[in-house]
Amino acid sequence: MGSVLEVEGLSVVYAGQKREVSALRDVSFDLRPGDTLGIIGESGSGKTTLALSILGLLGAPHRVSGRVTINGKEILSLPEEEKKKLRWRQVAMVFQNSQEVLNPVLKLAEQLAEPIVRHFGLRGAELENRVKALFDLVGLPSFWLDAYPHQLSGGMLQRVLLAMALSCDPQYLIADEPTASLDAICRQEILSKIKSLQAEKGFGLVLISHDLSVVADMAERLMVLYCGEILEMGPTGEVLEGPRHPYTRGLVNSCVGRFPYKDLWGIPGEPARDAGQRCSFVARCTQAIGKCNDERPALRLVASDRQIRCHRGGIALLLECRGVTKTFTLGNHRIQALTDVSVSIKHGETVALVGVSGSGKSTLAQILSGILRPDKGELLFKGRPVNGPWATRQQGGIQLVLQDSSGSVSHRFTVEEVVSEPLIINKIGCPAERKNRVQEALRAVQLPVDEAFLSRRCFALSNGQRQRLAIARALVMEPALLLADEIVSMLDVSTQANLLRLLKGLQNEKGFSMLVITHDLHLARKISERIIVLHAGRIAEEGSVKRVMESSCCIHTQRILEAGLGSPDIKEKPFFVRSPIHPHPFEYRGDMA
Amino acid sequence: MNGKKLLRFVEYLFTFVVVVTLNFAIPRLMPGGPFAAMFTDLGESASLFAQEQRRYFMEYYGLDRPVLEQYIRYIKDLARGNLGFSYYYKEPVLNLVLRRLPWTLFIVLLSTVLSFLLGILLGSFSAWRRNTWCDVLLYSVMVVSGTVPSFLIGLFLLFSLAAGLGIFPLSGATSHFVQYESIWENLADILRHAALPVLTLTLARTSGVYQLVRNSLITVLSREYMVTARAKGLREVRIRYRHALRNAILPLVTRFALQMAGFVGAAIVAENVFAYPGLGRLIREAVFVRDYPILQGVFIVVAVWVLGANIIADMLYRRLDPRTKNNEL
Repeated sequence: MGSVLEVEGLSVVYAGQKREVSALRDVSFDLRPGDTLGIIGESGSGKTTLALSILGLLGAPHRVSGRVTINGKEILSLPEEEKKKLRWRQVAMVFQNSQEVLNPVLKLAEQLAEPIVRHFGLRGAELENRVKALFDLVGLPSFWLDAYPHQLSGGMLQRVLLAMALSCDPQYLIADEPTASLDAICRQEILSKIKSLQAEKGFGLVLISHDLSVVADMAERLMVLYCGEILEMGPTGEVLEGPRHPYTRGLVNSCVGRFPYKDLWGIPGEPARDAGQRCSFVARCTQAIGKCNDERPALRLVASDRQIRCHRGGIALLLECRGVTKTFTLGNHRIQALTDVSVSIKHGETVALVGVSGSGKSTLAQILSGILRPDKGELLFKGRPVNGPWATRQQGGIQLVLQDSSGSVSHRFTVEEVVSEPLIINKIGCPAERKNRVQEALRAVQLPVDEAFLSRRCFALSNGQRQRLAIARALVMEPALLLADEIVSMLDVSTQANLLRLLKGLQNEKGFSMLVITHDLHLARKISERIIVLHAGRIAEEGSVKRVMESSCCIHTQRILEAGLGSPDIKEKPFFVRSPIHPHPFEYRGDMA
Repeated sequence: MNGKKLLRFVEYLFTFVVVVTLNFAIPRLMPGGPFAAMFTDLGESASLFAQEQRRYFMEYYGLDRPVLEQYIRYIKDLARGNLGFSYYYKEPVLNLVLRRLPWTLFIVLLSTVLSFLLGILLGSFSAWRRNTWCDVLLYSVMVVSGTVPSFLIGLFLLFSLAAGLGIFPLSGATSHFVQYESIWENLADILRHAALPVLTLTLARTSGVYQLVRNSLITVLSREYMVTARAKGLREVRIRYRHALRNAILPLVTRFALQMAGFVGAAIVAENVFAYPGLGRLIREAVFVRDYPILQGVFIVVAVWVLGANIIADMLYRRLDPRTKNNEL
């Protein structure tokens, strides 16, 4: 049982016509028979290069360094003849089905038989039986053996490729996007076939895919590959439930199959062509620091069996509060608003804080922003204790947007005065610069930036406009954390949708974090990655939206979900009826001014 | 399936009819008509007394009849194998053509086989070693040799190997006035005479085949199934010949058919340089004496030949590339 496939420090540099392209950098992993390693990454991340180099198929003029060891025998340095003998015999590959992965002018029988002839020297009836048995194994009638590749459907060809890979009973199987071009039913069939064959034959499987849902079901361990580097690696469940690297989180957010209710957000930007001596993800990363541009991070162990490659130790912790307790006194009564609440918010994430009225949500928001002081507990923002409102006074700090903008935005101020106020109070920038930033912030929330609008008084704005103005006022400080306390509950549905998409878009681009306080569970489900359920001043439950929504273990959560989503089984009722929108009889419209 | 075969047959038949019709029409469309030449010694104007004779000949050859009637008669004659009567050789054209055809077929087919073998061999040699110095050298030599006209090659060979060194005979297809002691001696003599024309044609044609094979193989080498074949750990011989060359020769089949037409042109040149008694030489002789029936007859034979080569290539391609067949099992 000492069999193991070990890859150590594998690097591949392709010698191109003009310049060299580094396709794989310092990749290491090991795999035992019966286990499955999932490799995930966008196209061009080096997945296929990794597969080919494990088979020893990349040689001069390309440069391959590192070690690939099978059962203690290093194979990259073997002479070509020796490598040929090991190929398909020890490591075989299920290629991604494409037009020409099989030779178009040779019959399937011949293509299936040739590795058997090569490695086992079988002939005649024995060979024929074996080939037929292989077709049986993958569930194809044997008359198809006489066909040419172009006569089969994509799903059948994928089965042929699987049969071919298994023809020499390999110890390790590399499956390169085995289901990418298939429909849902075929995909399910192929994947369960691979799974059952693995259980039967016990081969070690390297499953390469760009589809998280494929890998999530199949692999125990997951490797996230980006520009030829491992960015994150660990047990599949843990990595997907709590990604530690910004890129992994971006992938999870980009994947509609993970949690269909959630909004879809891709990772902005394109993969770097050649990272050189810096972090390969730096150009698309929203939490990059100076070091990320100058130095290549190393792959570090951050927990047992969890590795990430990031100078900041993964997604940075932005705000942390530990054991916060707050009591109000009303006459003789002591009202325990918060009891021992610990919350942490990471860079770039959206956390929904839900709970019934009076559960302490707004109190928590005010404590987090430094407006209220907790009785007990400590609060750290970017590693500095928050005592007093310093975090809200600086750029890149915390900004709070409240539910009712008719109260939080002064009627008598002009639009420009409202938005530039925090800059003026905190003495940031010169007047010209302030004006630019005001206009930029207004543009970001899709409000006009012309002089007429800038000098308009706020009483002449609609509710939706004023709420957007409040958000612009927060954004002008370029916050790292936006505390949004029911910011859309007073808006009509369409404005609500626009505003939220706007905020998510800005977040995706600039990378600030949001704590969204809301009653609306549909909303929470749609926009946030993590959810915190507050009940009677305590945290009742916390987890990824997918986990909490799909398998909550907390009675309070279940009650809230039931009430908020209308049905205990959220999968059954994806549509919902909204509470009626209250009209605002005293609203002044801009055009009335 | 049978419907498709029938359709293909009709296609070829139609092509043949078009060729025959053109062959019928072109001499009749030419200014002056055939007898302008017949009664004219080269460069001199026609004598007047010929007017009477001319009408006699027009009548004799049926050229005074309506065109449609002439056409029908032409087709009928053709069907009977009557290609007309040469007025220079005073002999049926068919006899003339049949006597000359084997010699041309012999050198053309032999040089085709040789140039394809050589081209495939050198082409795959180059493709497997692409961008090494052997490949670059061979490629340059081949590209340059492909641009040299075949009559230059022929003349060079004639002067160096035949006239200079005397290894091969200067002209003809056989030695005259010789009694052969055995059939082998006869064959050796024929081969010795054919050697230079065949060599000329082979040299002129190898370059094209070489370039096609090299390019086609290089394209095939980058195909995904080549990675598959290598991943399976197959032997180099099998990868190269069963997987790569098998795919790379497909365009060659098409080229074979296309080349047949060009070969006739090259054969005319080669046969004239070496005074080889084939169709090419017959064409030249006929042109000199303006013997229209011979030219027409030769054209028909060449057309049938090229058409035949196309049919063979078509069938061969269908056999070699399963994708062109119907998708039935």
